[in-house]
Amino acid sequence: MSGSRNAFAVIVLLALPLLTGSDYLLHLLVLCVLFSILALSYNVTLGYIGELSLGHSAFFGIGAYASAIVSVRYGFSFWSGIFLGVTVAAAVGLVIGVATLRIKGPQFAIVTLGLGGIMHLVCSHWVGLTNGPMGITRIPPPTPIGLGELVVSFDTARSFYYLALMFLVVIIAICAVTRQSRLGRAFVSVRENDHLAASVGVDVFTTKLAAFVISTAMAGLGGVLYAHYMRVISPDVFGVHYVVAMLIMVTAGGRGTILGPIVGAVIYVVLLELLRPVGALRLIAFGVILAVCVIKFPDGIVGFLSRRNLLRRMPSRMDRKSAA
Amino acid sequence: MLDIDILLQQVTNGLVNGIGYVLIALGLTIVFGVMKVVNFAHGEFYMLGAYATYIVTGAMGTNYLIAVPVAILVVAAIGVLANYVFFRPTRSQHEVVGLMSSVALGLILMNGVLFLFSAEPKTIASPFSDKVINVGPVFLTEQRLLSMVCAAFMVAGAWLFVTKTRLGKMMQATAQNIDGASLSGINVDRVYMTTFALGCGLAASAGALLGPLVSIYPTLGEWAVLKAFVVVIVGGLGSIPGAIIAGIALGLIEALSAGYISTALQDVFGYAAIIVVLMFMPQGLFGRRAK
Amino acid sequence: MTTAMLSIKNLSKSFGGLAAVDSVTFEVNEGEIVGLIGPNGAGKTTTFNLIAGAISPSNGEIVYRGKAVAGLPEHRLAEMGIIRTFQITSVFSKLTVLENVVCGAHRTYRVNFWHSFVAWAKYRDNEDALARSAHELLRELNLDHLADVIADELSYGDLRKLEIAIALSAKPTLLLLDEPAAGLIPEERAKLVALLGKIRSLGTTILLVEHSMQVVMSACDRIVVLNTGKKIAEGSPTEIAATDAVVEVYLGKEYKRA
Repeated sequence: MSGSRNAFAVIVLLALPLLTGSDYLLHLLVLCVLFSILALSYNVTLGYIGELSLGHSAFFGIGAYASAIVSVRYGFSFWSGIFLGVTVAAAVGLVIGVATLRIKGPQFAIVTLGLGGIMHLVCSHWVGLTNGPMGITRIPPPTPIGLGELVVSFDTARSFYYLALMFLVVIIAICAVTRQSRLGRAFVSVRENDHLAASVGVDVFTTKLAAFVISTAMAGLGGVLYAHYMRVISPDVFGVHYVVAMLIMVTAGGRGTILGPIVGAVIYVVLLELLRPVGALRLIAFGVILAVCVIKFPDGIVGFLSRRNLLRRMPSRMDRKSAA
Repeated sequence: MLDIDILLQQVTNGLVNGIGYVLIALGLTIVFGVMKVVNFAHGEFYMLGAYATYIVTGAMGTNYLIAVPVAILVVAAIGVLANYVFFRPTRSQHEVVGLMSSVALGLILMNGVLFLFSAEPKTIASPFSDKVINVGPVFLTEQRLLSMVCAAFMVAGAWLFVTKTRLGKMMQATAQNIDGASLSGINVDRVYMTTFALGCGLAASAGALLGPLVSIYPTLGEWAVLKAFVVVIVGGLGSIPGAIIAGIALGLIEALSAGYISTALQDVFGYAAIIVVLMFMPQGLFGRRAK
Repeated sequence: MTTAMLSIKNLSKSFGGLAAVDSVTFEVNEGEIVGLIGPNGAGKTTTFNLIAGAISPSNGEIVYRGKAVAGLPEHRLAEMGIIRTFQITSVFSKLTVLENVVCGAHRTYRVNFWHSFVAWAKYRDNEDALARSAHELLRELNLDHLADVIADELSYGDLRKLEIAIALSAKPTLLLLDEPAAGLIPEERAKLVALLGKIRSLGTTILLVEHSMQVVMSACDRIVVLNTGKKIAEGSPTEIAATDAVVEVYLGKEYKRA
């Protein structure tokens, strides 16, 4: 890992919110971080094991609702909300994964397609738990942290940015370590040639399941953060818009990499704002962008730049030819 | 006490809906069987069929019976173009790329129609909608009877095409063994183009025939594709007989449960059916087993 | 008498009404190179796939080192040390040669997922060991100079070598080779024979299905001959070449002339 490059990146990320006083720009920064987390979560399923989860917004929404419900209704702290949101999202992911990942073929994509819709239905009708289509409001910001006399609260965009950034760093670390681990190599071998992977001892089903559960847990985390930032959620979190967003972020940025989804997230947030005046054409534009990326630039921006050697591939221990 | 008349009515409703589901799903399963790709935009071609019929009958004032084949041909042509842009370039890559491509296609089609026609529901003018016919104790509108009969013809026609014609046999050969097929001189590219056009044409015919029964809107495809998936997974990906049986079964189960249990649970039944089938019989009723 | 490493007893497999494999019985002892031959349709590929776990038998048993393994999933067999190659070229085409081999070493790891998070020293040592083994293996097969080449850019001969490298990377105790000589020119076949001998000398037992008589006769200690699903002969290469039933059915007069 290139230490100095990472340190530089961290410093820049920490300094960003200090460069502007504009609430609007700070809000965009927070969205970039939140969407990065979502994109990285989606990347674990799409990029690492090559499965198309068309209902991933369900896990995002589950995380959001789980935390919102317990904090608004029962006064749980934000940190309990995180734990609950991640756990429930992962549990549902486990159930869906067990039901669908054993089968080789598009069945996984097909089944997950209905997931968002089902969750939307459940959420809209189970008014007693979720407040129905009205959604949940007055979600508290994350619980302030007290350090002696100093109290750090998270009710502004700037302060939330740092909190979310911390989570993002954790997620990046998990992805980076996993990728270089035995499990990470198993992901790659399953994605590239699952029959060959099985022949060298990889338990394809369990590997895919592990990736999917990690992916849904991360999406759940993103949902919790989203809920406590926006302070208001509705069944729309289960909408197809978020799935489209995740698809675009990962494909345009670069699937299978870590930098790719983050770059994709930033691009997506920027596009979302730039294309706002265009209204319905925005969605067509997203469809076209997705199509272009899928058909013409399968490795996304990061992959494209790596190819052109404009972005040096992160060196791994494997590169040491002098290992003798 | 079971009222026979009501039962017959529900069964008839189920059959009519069922054959509609078969027609919606047939194109999807044929495309998968031959091209090994699931077209997530399949529902949008159904929707396009409905809208094309709407345009031809509305804007051009043409008779419905002429509008339907015109709409089918137009949408099939769109399908040929879509195949060329979205599926042909992605064939050599990981299977997930083809799926993503079809998702993008669906997005563009749906939002394109949304942009051009707004979300406001439209109605297709058909001379048959209003009148009600009695067949014994059972009531059917003329349109429903027409759509059922035509759908049955289209399904039979597709079946004959695939099994009896030379092109259909080439499709079967490609489905079974693509390398063998191309080695024996079959132009796989041409087969794929025809298959996809057929798939889109069938979806469009469903939209044209079933469209007048409801009001149409741009997101109609989402409903259609979910029904198609239930039918195709239960029947087996790539199996025509499977699609026929599963489609009619779905129609009957929905109608009977709506009549005797509740309408709200209809969609949930379908989804639950998929999960159950996948857990115990992942290849569906007639699909090919992996091991 | 040592118990055989792999013992096939009355192994049968029917498809529909057709018996592709009919009550086949033979053994593979540790350290042997055994060849499975027969004309087209003899059932050798089916037998091979039964042993490799790709299909389940209709009848009979497969015992590996005392454990019944018939019907176990492929990755379980691999965990036990039974590693197979494929008839149709099977590598990780978008990865480099080195990455291919490292992916093959899945079952040899001495650390698990959590070690990569907390026990960094252990993890690092494991990675270094992996890199060393991988390069060593590539050097043995004369592929090390191609370590950073993407697999789908390799020549056919090098691809076949890579397949074997991936299998060897998994440190097999029983190596199942599915027509390893297919598509190779005679010089390459000779090199393959030498390679098989070297693999055996490093402690791996080999069972191979093969059509090339050059390879089978030179490399194998024992040969099992199948025809129409049944075993018709078993013995050393010289014994097999002299068995009338085999010559008649398979080797043909051409081999006797040669």
